[in-house]
Amino acid sequence: MSFCFNDANVAKIEALKKRYPSAQALSLPCLWMVQYQEGYISLDAIDVIAEVTDTPAMEIYRVATFYTMFHLEPTTQKRVLVCKTLSCKLCGSDAVLEQLKKHDVLVEHVECLGSCGTAPVMQIDDVNYENLTPTKVDAIVEGLR
Amino acid sequence: MSEMIEIIVDDKTYRAEEGSLLIDLLIREEIKVPYFCYHESLGADGNCRMCMVEIAGQKRPQIACDTLVKSGMEVNSKSTKIEKVHTDILELELINHPVDCPTCDQAGECSLQDLYMDYGLHDAKVTIVDKVKHDKKVDLGSNVMLDQERCVLCARCTRFTDKITHTHELGIIGRGDEAKVSTMPGRKLDNPYAMNVVDLCPVGALTSKDFRFHQRVWFLQSAESICHGCAKGCNIYIDHNKMKYQDDVIYRFRPRRNDAVNGFYICDEGRLSYKELETNRLESMLYDGVVVDEHEAIAQYKSLLTQYQGRVSVVIDANLYSEEIEAIVAYAERIGAKVFAPLECYNDPSFADDMLKSAQRAANYGAIVKMGLETNMPSDAGLIINFNHPTHFNAEAEIHFSTHKQESNALLLPMAAFSENSGSLINEVGLEQWCEKAVEKNSPAPTVLSWLEKVEG
Repeated sequence: MSFCFNDANVAKIEALKKRYPSAQALSLPCLWMVQYQEGYISLDAIDVIAEVTDTPAMEIYRVATFYTMFHLEPTTQKRVLVCKTLSCKLCGSDAVLEQLKKHDVLVEHVECLGSCGTAPVMQIDDVNYENLTPTKVDAIVEGLR
Repeated sequence: MSEMIEIIVDDKTYRAEEGSLLIDLLIREEIKVPYFCYHESLGADGNCRMCMVEIAGQKRPQIACDTLVKSGMEVNSKSTKIEKVHTDILELELINHPVDCPTCDQAGECSLQDLYMDYGLHDAKVTIVDKVKHDKKVDLGSNVMLDQERCVLCARCTRFTDKITHTHELGIIGRGDEAKVSTMPGRKLDNPYAMNVVDLCPVGALTSKDFRFHQRVWFLQSAESICHGCAKGCNIYIDHNKMKYQDDVIYRFRPRRNDAVNGFYICDEGRLSYKELETNRLESMLYDGVVVDEHEAIAQYKSLLTQYQGRVSVVIDANLYSEEIEAIVAYAERIGAKVFAPLECYNDPSFADDMLKSAQRAANYGAIVKMGLETNMPSDAGLIINFNHPTHFNAEAEIHFSTHKQESNALLLPMAAFSENSGSLINEVGLEQWCEKAVEKNSPAPTVLSWLEKVEG
């Protein structure tokens, strides 16, 4: 199984290349593109990025393991990011987490999602779901199917 | 070269090149400075934070490995304050250390142990059950074993694969408590210099599969020698030990620093070549496949010499010491024999690279060239007296002085290997270097010089 950037991403990379002084600067954008394209970052994809950015594959792998938002394993479950920092904690993110346990989703504890005013917050597929209550959680997760 | 300037360290004045690293000066002048990550061939990385010193005019302690020497700089490396800093940083390094020194091969030559004795001596505040657990047995490949729990993340090994071999196999992955040295999944550490990371590792995280669990390092004695793998002449230590009731055995070769030849490193093939010195050695004198005593052997030797008088050729291995080669040449002259030192069989371009490996796989290549010996193969010889040359010859009769066993019905006489004798070698660029005698076997094979005395006596 080998990885290939799709045409849109190839065009994006070409456009971005002009913006940065070195190709290595494309490491993070490329990792994001792979994750959006495939859902996770495979070793094949890391090799392709290494070639595009003219950087050793190990360096790309290090970056991918350093950041928790990159996923190196594929999963069939939905990833649900739940904020674990102060505002959300005070406004009841514990109850949200408890409720999510009852569903077949992959829950990830993350740092501030930048929406403290509407805490507690969770994020699914880049969409923030705000002012959560356990009932709302049920409705949102059921609605995903 | 930049200007030489004066700086003050602990109230003494030292001279240093302006803009050079402060830690280089401290190491050169043997001023005690603790460090893990700095290495002269890998440069500063500044990640271990151990080499803190106080610098007059600076608010906080600075790391010596990333500080450039400036004129008039006043450095303090010994105050109570700075020792407290060292102690505190060392305590951080030791938080998750498993303290398994009794089973660790690095014990005895471990920076963590040494620095703990200098700066630590505290009891652990984190109990062993609370320490972060990692994999203790990761086979990285190329004979290198990784214990991720012992690692202090100094990144010397990863910098070695990045900057020295340019193969980029190793990296530090993850972050925080989860950070560890690793290869990429499914890939191995694979380069001909890989085992140098074992020497580079300041702690017991990277150990050699070949050496681990074989010997405690404080029992080893080191002799300074030269690798016999090729004509490069890499400087090595021969680490050997004679256990009670056992023979003197070599446990490992280690690189010995020599900036003019090999720097800090040796290749893996040279490193593991000590095994050849311990296996398949010729131990007794043989004639026609039958063991003979020394009296018979010498009688046979002399009768062959008389029988083929005037048709004798002497062949010399280009791995013998210069002193031995000179003695053999003089001996050949006395018995009226022709001398050959064929070099062609040592030429192996597939072995060579642009780092340390040379295509000429003979340690004393330079001496043969310098002495101007005949380097062709001997032709139509009656008797060939072969001093450990690896080639097979076709002659009417042969006498082999040999370190290793060989299939032959000729007269075979065991000979001391280079580790059992001392002498000098000249490498491919004409540099003469001395090898110490390392091993004293229980029943030593005679050296070339003592053989010559015996056969002429």
